[in-house]
Amino acid sequence: MAADYNRLMKKPVGKMVAFGIFSAIIYGALFSYQSLITAYFTRGALYAVLPIAGAFALSYFHGHFTGYFWTVLGIEAKKTAVVRPRPEVRQPVRRESPQPRLRAKL
Amino acid sequence: MQDVIHAGVKFIELNYMNVLYLFAVGFVGGLVSGFIGSGGAFVLTPGMMSLGVPGLVAVATNMCHKFPKALVGAVKRAKYGQVDVKLGVIFGIFAEAGVMYGAHIQENIKRAFGDAGSNLYVSAAFVLILGTVGTFVLRDALKTYRPGNTDQEEKVSGIARWVQSINIPGTMVYFKSLKAKVSILFIIPLGFATGMLAATIAVGGFIGVPSLIYILGAPSLMGSATELVVAFVMGLGGSFKYALHGFVDFRLTAIILAGSLFGIQLGAMGTTYVKPFMIKLVMGLIMVIVLFSRALMIPVYLSQLSLMHTLNETTVKILSGASFAIMVFALLMGALVILRAMWRGRRAEREMVGEAATEVLDRA
Repeated sequence: MAADYNRLMKKPVGKMVAFGIFSAIIYGALFSYQSLITAYFTRGALYAVLPIAGAFALSYFHGHFTGYFWTVLGIEAKKTAVVRPRPEVRQPVRRESPQPRLRAKL
Repeated sequence: MQDVIHAGVKFIELNYMNVLYLFAVGFVGGLVSGFIGSGGAFVLTPGMMSLGVPGLVAVATNMCHKFPKALVGAVKRAKYGQVDVKLGVIFGIFAEAGVMYGAHIQENIKRAFGDAGSNLYVSAAFVLILGTVGTFVLRDALKTYRPGNTDQEEKVSGIARWVQSINIPGTMVYFKSLKAKVSILFIIPLGFATGMLAATIAVGGFIGVPSLIYILGAPSLMGSATELVVAFVMGLGGSFKYALHGFVDFRLTAIILAGSLFGIQLGAMGTTYVKPFMIKLVMGLIMVIVLFSRALMIPVYLSQLSLMHTLNETTVKILSGASFAIMVFALLMGALVILRAMWRGRRAEREMVGEAATEVLDRA
């Protein structure tokens, strides 16, 4: 019981809820005022920034929410996941032509 | 009534079924993209069009959902050390140029031969590219899988070794994923081809990922993760271009993103549980199945262009329905293979941890 509680406490439940609320606010506003938002977002020219900024905002808030959602459910990446580097391919050696040297015998 | 008319574009009315459908397709598409670095878009664009979304709006909306999704996936996979940002950005810039040129070609074909001509070009590109690249990728994956060489380290292909051995002064750049310097002159045509394919069939990754793996020599995991950076760069530029003309339906973008961000996180995590050949296997399988889907549509477009005898309406309907169903099947099958591989990987890890714990207890 205590172990379960500790495990739950370690999970980012608070962060998931916070980002979930932000995400829900964005989606709520978008669908409550969809005609107004669509009208502005499709005006083109300088208004083209709006859908791009909106997409970035969603990727930040909803992206964090979905990440924490899976973590809270216990679905995480493998702990020992390491990308093994490949052996380096030998680059051709640059041959420099020897510089002629002048030796003066005095 | 939720119709907003702007610049002659009609945006659809949303209902619960549309929302659920886009969310589900977004989730599955995101799952596949998170795993192989691309995919999903080839079902989303026709899927939106089947709801009544005009073609151009469907392409623009799909593009606008792609770059934030790719960003989230790339950030996630960068945490696992799988992303080469430098290679992705350079590749992406040339891919962006390919997108612009590919869109220009598409417009010219549409102007000269109409919608049927444009569709025939898209389907022919699908069949030709997926037929050659898809078969090659699938064969390579099966070559590793069948004899049970799945634990062996991936080998750099002969072409990649040759590309990495060429030294063109003033053009050499070091990439950490390749652990070698490669001339940027090799990256230009690969990036350009990826962009052109993205503008034509909406999935540039079908050229991008195999190029990164087989021609430049990136490991499968890094190749598929770096493709997400390419998709971000390409998607950002493309979305801005379409948004300038007001073609992005942000409501649809948001719904698809709602599902795809769940999927992409899961797909990205899935890559940490599987062996590298699985990336090639899933990608090859999807490519080969989609190939049949598009091949079914070629007689329809040929008939519309009067290049063969006219097909009756029932035949056209059957072929179109079967083509779409095969595409959905390809995506679902890819998703199932990923989820199964992930499930088995998690079980193996749990068993390993359990055995280690038992051993420690026994010693104690």
